[in-house]
Amino acid sequence: MIEFRDVHKWFGDLHVLKGIRLRVAAGEVLVVCGPSGSGKSTLIRTINRLEPIQKGELIVDGMKVHDPRTPMTKLRAEIGFVFQQFNLYPHMTALENVTLAPIKVRRMPRREAEALGKEVLAKVGLADKLHQYPAQLSGGQQQRVAIARGLCMRPKIMLFDEPTSALDPEMINEVLEVMRALAREGMTMIVVTHEMGFAREVAHRVAFMDYGELIEIAPPEEFFARPQSERTRLFLSKILTH
Amino acid sequence: MWGIYLEQLLQSLPFFLKGLWMTVAVSGLSLLLGTAVGFLWGIVRASRRRILKALIGAWVDVIRGTPFLVQIFILFFILPEFGVHLEAFPAAVIALSNLAACFICEIVSSGIESVPHGQREAAVSSGLNGYQQLRHVILPQALRVILPPLVGQYVLLIKDSSVVSAIGVMDVTRAGWLTVQRIPQGILVFGLVGLLYFAICYPLIQISGALEKRLGRSSRR
Repeated sequence: MIEFRDVHKWFGDLHVLKGIRLRVAAGEVLVVCGPSGSGKSTLIRTINRLEPIQKGELIVDGMKVHDPRTPMTKLRAEIGFVFQQFNLYPHMTALENVTLAPIKVRRMPRREAEALGKEVLAKVGLADKLHQYPAQLSGGQQQRVAIARGLCMRPKIMLFDEPTSALDPEMINEVLEVMRALAREGMTMIVVTHEMGFAREVAHRVAFMDYGELIEIAPPEEFFARPQSERTRLFLSKILTH
Repeated sequence: MWGIYLEQLLQSLPFFLKGLWMTVAVSGLSLLLGTAVGFLWGIVRASRRRILKALIGAWVDVIRGTPFLVQIFILFFILPEFGVHLEAFPAAVIALSNLAACFICEIVSSGIESVPHGQREAAVSSGLNGYQQLRHVILPQALRVILPPLVGQYVLLIKDSSVVSAIGVMDVTRAGWLTVQRIPQGILVFGLVGLLYFAICYPLIQISGALEKRLGRSSRR
């Protein structure tokens, strides 16, 4: 479903992705962790070309994302992206937020889109917040609307860029709960997060990134019990003691 | 003595109202054209089209850095030497529209840039095309920042329109010039002229203030 073949990216002189090789199968849940600045956010932002890559090949759902001639609008419609800062449209209600792309991109009739939007918002536990504006919702609720916004496009892939990092602790679980349910349904997901409990429980594989390199990637049992690299061990010892 | 002048002035009131109508026509038309062009330029200026951006930026700087009176003289007196003849009215509308577009361009582009980058990223990620991003996500948010200074700019432009009297457009300022030669009471005549401008501008000032207050409230939410 997603394949990185020796992918490199630079920000000016800064080499942020150094020869990434990675395959993610359909239905797989991959958790990516690593220290800040390790390139993990950049990694998932290349998948829908929010960040273009400079070298290597990146194939997503059969499309050559590395090729500047590949039109991205169509592919982006198949990939839901959830941001750390939610990025909900503040001038629209929850329902308007989730129905905008289905109506404009999928050309879905408004009534149908609204029915879908209500259904998906109910699924993330927000059936009673349809007509609230983002500013009237808590952080956890906003992030669930953001997830619903992605899901309303019936995407093939969902990408999560530190979805719980901006949340107060008591709201983290309601968001993770939605993501767990999604994983159980077989959604292809890449999740950048430090929530190791989530990784242990739902990830098929966990990857560790540092200095733009994919250091280690393994199923969670192995990843946590027997990390191969010293850097992974060091990182895990730091975040797991908290 | 004042009574006589006042009576004369009252008799020339229809003349002033005709001038006022011309002022409204010139500035109204120019604001409409200037707003359309200014939004277009502002959108380009906030985009990533480098060459077009630089061209518009240079033009805006030239126009903002030269007196409007000089611009309108060039258009009206110097262009004919190159074979381009313009009547006073179209020359006035073109010059004032251009001035309006330049100021509005700056207001619009900074309004667009005030929208957080994440908004565009969210719109891009959901598969909206460039036009849809602008129309449904960026502009509605930018507009809240754009509107108060835009209306404020309208007030300035309506007042700047008095300059077009210099090339013979019969606006309310020119009506004053002509009248003061018959009624040698400048304070009365130009007091009336000022009052007429104020009558148009004051409601706009009120609207701009109200918009600003509303923006302040909603951004605090």
